[in-house]
Amino acid sequence: MKRLPAPVLTLIIFVTLAAAAPWLVGDGGVGLLFEVLLMLAMAQLWNLLAGYTGLVSMGLQCFVGLGGYTTIFAANSLSISPYWVLPLAPLVCGLVAAVSAIFLFRLRDAYFSISTWVFSEVAAMLVFITPGFGHVTGMTLETAREIDYETFLLVNFWIAAGLAAGIIVGIYGLLHSSLGLGMLSVRDNEIAAASIGVDVWRNRFIAYVAAAAGCGLAGGISFMAALFVNVTTGFDLNWVVAMIFIVIIGGIGTLEGPIIGTIIYYGIRELLTNVFALSGSWYLIALGAVAVTTMLVAPRGIWPFVRDQFGIEWLSISRKLPATAGDGSPNPKASISTHQPSRTRRA
Amino acid sequence: MVWIGTIINGVLLGGLYGLFGVGLALVFGVTRIVNIMHGEFIALSAFIALAISALFPSAHPLFLILPVVVISFALGYALQAVFVNRSMRLPDPMAPLLLTFGLSVIVRNLMIEGFGVNPRSIHQGDFGQLSIDVFGVQIGVLPLVTLALAVVLFIALQLVLRRTEIGRIVRATADNSEVVRLMGVRPSSVYNIVMGLSFALAGVAGLMLALRTTFTPFSGVERLLISFEVVVMGGLGSFWGAMLGGIALGVAQLVGLRLNPNSGFLYANLVFFAFVMLRPNGLFGARQ
Repeated sequence: MKRLPAPVLTLIIFVTLAAAAPWLVGDGGVGLLFEVLLMLAMAQLWNLLAGYTGLVSMGLQCFVGLGGYTTIFAANSLSISPYWVLPLAPLVCGLVAAVSAIFLFRLRDAYFSISTWVFSEVAAMLVFITPGFGHVTGMTLETAREIDYETFLLVNFWIAAGLAAGIIVGIYGLLHSSLGLGMLSVRDNEIAAASIGVDVWRNRFIAYVAAAAGCGLAGGISFMAALFVNVTTGFDLNWVVAMIFIVIIGGIGTLEGPIIGTIIYYGIRELLTNVFALSGSWYLIALGAVAVTTMLVAPRGIWPFVRDQFGIEWLSISRKLPATAGDGSPNPKASISTHQPSRTRRA
Repeated sequence: MVWIGTIINGVLLGGLYGLFGVGLALVFGVTRIVNIMHGEFIALSAFIALAISALFPSAHPLFLILPVVVISFALGYALQAVFVNRSMRLPDPMAPLLLTFGLSVIVRNLMIEGFGVNPRSIHQGDFGQLSIDVFGVQIGVLPLVTLALAVVLFIALQLVLRRTEIGRIVRATADNSEVVRLMGVRPSSVYNIVMGLSFALAGVAGLMLALRTTFTPFSGVERLLISFEVVVMGGLGSFWGAMLGGIALGVAQLVGLRLNPNSGFLYANLVFFAFVMLRPNGLFGARQ
């Protein structure tokens, strides 16, 4: 019997566990996993931008906040269940990202990173001063009264699980397509990519709009579940800080990295705040220490370090050359690596 | 008259913003590191100043500059020597950025543990409240001193970089860190000094911030964005550009607040956007 490929096996295990989660971990566990899965989805999207297209955004929290506001505002205005208006969140965020990209893409590297952060601050302030969005107090989901809270939590959890799985499968599929190959080539060498006919701007545009829409949906789900959104929580810089942390610790430019990073991020949090009952700042200090250590010991992140040490593969996206005749095993040296290469320092 | 006062105060506030950015611009110009720790150091310097002022309650606040600068320089030097240089040996330019990111989270949360989250301020005489009347416009003495200090520090920094031996070494290292090795310069030692200088400048900025307003361990994050904007507007690595960028932001912020008291930093951010759209490489930037 032929063994299932690791990615398919992973997906089957994930779906099974997610379906059984309410009976396995109880209500508290579901609440935690809901948060974990949404963060995993967002970290994967940040990784799609930074790890695969070279766009280091510090402003994705903008779309988390916009997604939350869109969902709650639309549900309140139409007096309907938030589930019906959830698709509006990625739509609005994708649109905002598409328009802003026209301007932001004029800027390079550090200029782009800073400007996305400034863009988020501007968006937050505009939401803050526009009448009808609740100013300081924020907005509460008014249809919340009609909701049976227990099923609401469960359904939200499954939506979050679906989003996380969908985004990972989507990125995996994307990176196996010619569009994804184009993205990788842009990241590795923009000029060389452009010279062989890769449309650099278009590749980045698609990735940026997709990441914004995904973060918008995650934000919509997150604040729908919270039944409340305001500017401070919605447009919080800590959203993108957490994404960066997770991707960097786990391994940028790999699909496995954000998964490992998310486990470490929440593992440390739960261990220090719940098991050892330390204050929130100690867990952040521990996370900072993990980041510093990772950068000094394994600067490409934990997953690439483990992968290279033990030669294991999981959700690898590298393409193997077909085995040559008479040689049963594919030569590992002959594989075209699409892992992130060590980049050369800019002169 | 009200508007003239607003603009003058905006220019003076810009002096502080320029001071926020100049250390960041220096480090970026020489080492190409985007130093995320910078904001945290502005806040930490404010707390250092607070601790020292508690020891010498009768001293004039401006005398705090010397100890703050010395301590900040030492901290910057040590952090660069112990941590950042190690990550700079790697070929990946993201590594030092993320290292400083991790350090900034550690420093911020240690400040929260050590000093608490309540707003603090330095009360030392009525220096912070003094103002002079110039043709009917009230101008604070402290903002005036801040701007003057910023200008003096900028000129001093320029002179050191242009005219002295160490300045030549720093510029040569910035241009090509490989070739200076051939001349017997160890780039990592130069980086230590540059990071020390950058932190010393952040220290002055932090002290001026502390004299001007209340501060918390979170003050650094808010100032980091301003520092970044200032540096980007000036063109990464340019000092005078940072100064002018700071002034533009200061004026935009105060004019904006007069138009809409709820707008916070919105107008300054919009000016930043308009600016980078027109000059995507900053005022004096074009260096790649």
